Amino acid sequence: MKATLAPSSLISLPRHKVSSLRSPSLLIQSQRPSSALMTTMKTASRGSVAVTAAATSSVEALREGIAEFYNETSGLWEEIWGDHMHHGFYDPDSSVQLSDSGHREAQIRMIEESLRFAGVTEEKKIKRVVDVGCGIGGSSRYIASKFGAECVGITLSPVQAKRANDLAAAQSLSHKVSFQVADALEQPFEDGMFDLVWSMESGEHMPDKAKFVKELVRVAAPGGRIIIVTWCHRNLSQGEEALQPWEQNLLDRICKTFYLPAWCSTSDYVNLLQSLSLQDIKCADWSENVAPFWPAVIRTALTWKGLVSLLRSGMKSIKGALTMPLMIEGYKKGIIKFGIITCQKPL
Amino acid sequence: MRLITHNMLSCNIKGVANGFPLKIEAESVIEKEVDFNPDFLRHMFAKIEWKALVEAARSLGYSELPEDSPAAAAEDESLLKKLHHALLELHLEEGALVCPETGRRFPVTRGIPNMLLHEDEV
Repeated sequence: MKATLAPSSLISLPRHKVSSLRSPSLLIQSQRPSSALMTTMKTASRGSVAVTAAATSSVEALREGIAEFYNETSGLWEEIWGDHMHHGFYDPDSSVQLSDSGHREAQIRMIEESLRFAGVTEEKKIKRVVDVGCGIGGSSRYIASKFGAECVGITLSPVQAKRANDLAAAQSLSHKVSFQVADALEQPFEDGMFDLVWSMESGEHMPDKAKFVKELVRVAAPGGRIIIVTWCHRNLSQGEEALQPWEQNLLDRICKTFYLPAWCSTSDYVNLLQSLSLQDIKCADWSENVAPFWPAVIRTALTWKGLVSLLRSGMKSIKGALTMPLMIEGYKKGIIKFGIITCQKPL
Repeated sequence: MRLITHNMLSCNIKGVANGFPLKIEAESVIEKEVDFNPDFLRHMFAKIEWKALVEAARSLGYSELPEDSPAAAAEDESLLKKLHHALLELHLEEGALVCPETGRRFPVTRGIPNMLLHEDEV
């Protein structure tokens, strides 16, 4: 059944329709604690055909929306920020206002800190890596160079895949890295292929977190490591069923412009990994380490070059830029968390 | 798309048991020279699905690779050169990758395979 929603109509939908886009029964409800997460999935599988059909149409629409969003905005991002489409990692409470190159270094540091947190070192003999939600391939090229590993990246955006391959060729890395258009929820790889499964700030886009995690685990080799770095909402407290309405409201507004489905928490990821019997599961809240990032992005957007580029780039970019203060608000109020979750697949 | 990538891709349609290797329909193939790196190739050798590579190379018009994976590849420079050419220098620019079980075609456009599944395939 083809999707009836055209991607451009996602922006102009009134709020209630966006909510139904975000939360058909097959999707994870961000409000529910982890045990209910599993119940939701079981209920969905017994759900009516009509609900399922509507749900999968909206998933297809989300997928198209994400592809179009990145087709439109990747060039702009690269022009201003370079080839890493993720947060920088900073020392907490660093009040020094960094230069552009300082932020770029912070983005490299994010990769290094993530590898270190997961215990992935040179000695681990990383030979094959998959970059799930690879953007224009910054992480892939960096990791392939660092470990001399083969890296394959997947993205929904053909524009990103092309750019990623072109950059690899320009850096003489084409024999080591390649990029394809594919869906993280259906990775086009056999089981157990990768020593390292890398998802750097792509988890936010996955409408079905359980399926996303299952695929990450499936393609990981026995003994391989999985690294998920992602935006989450805060963990729910004991007895708390859902986020507060005002918190949910803030996230809803961000979801609309960034093509995000429902958010989940770091604990939800940990629970999913536990349910799949992964070992050495670790997580951390790096919200304090990314605090300078969005203010810096806004500053670059407000420069002359930034504004001109935004206007040239189109409505999705402009709306994205206008949403950035909401990210800062979300972090400041403790609703949005920047989380890392890592684990190892048993041998 | 190079064959080093093709050697890793498979069809993930629900219910498909044998989605690897994907057959190749080649419409446009180009050759791009790459520096010969024998160490890299020796390193790669153990991980390559050899029969899949031979068949794929043939689809792109290159039939020089031996049918069976040679035992002493590390020392055989002429074999390494052939492996280098097949794995890294042949590019499928336009065409399709075809699931061996269902016949489903995944288009390759401007060198990039599109492996997205339709709703009824997941």
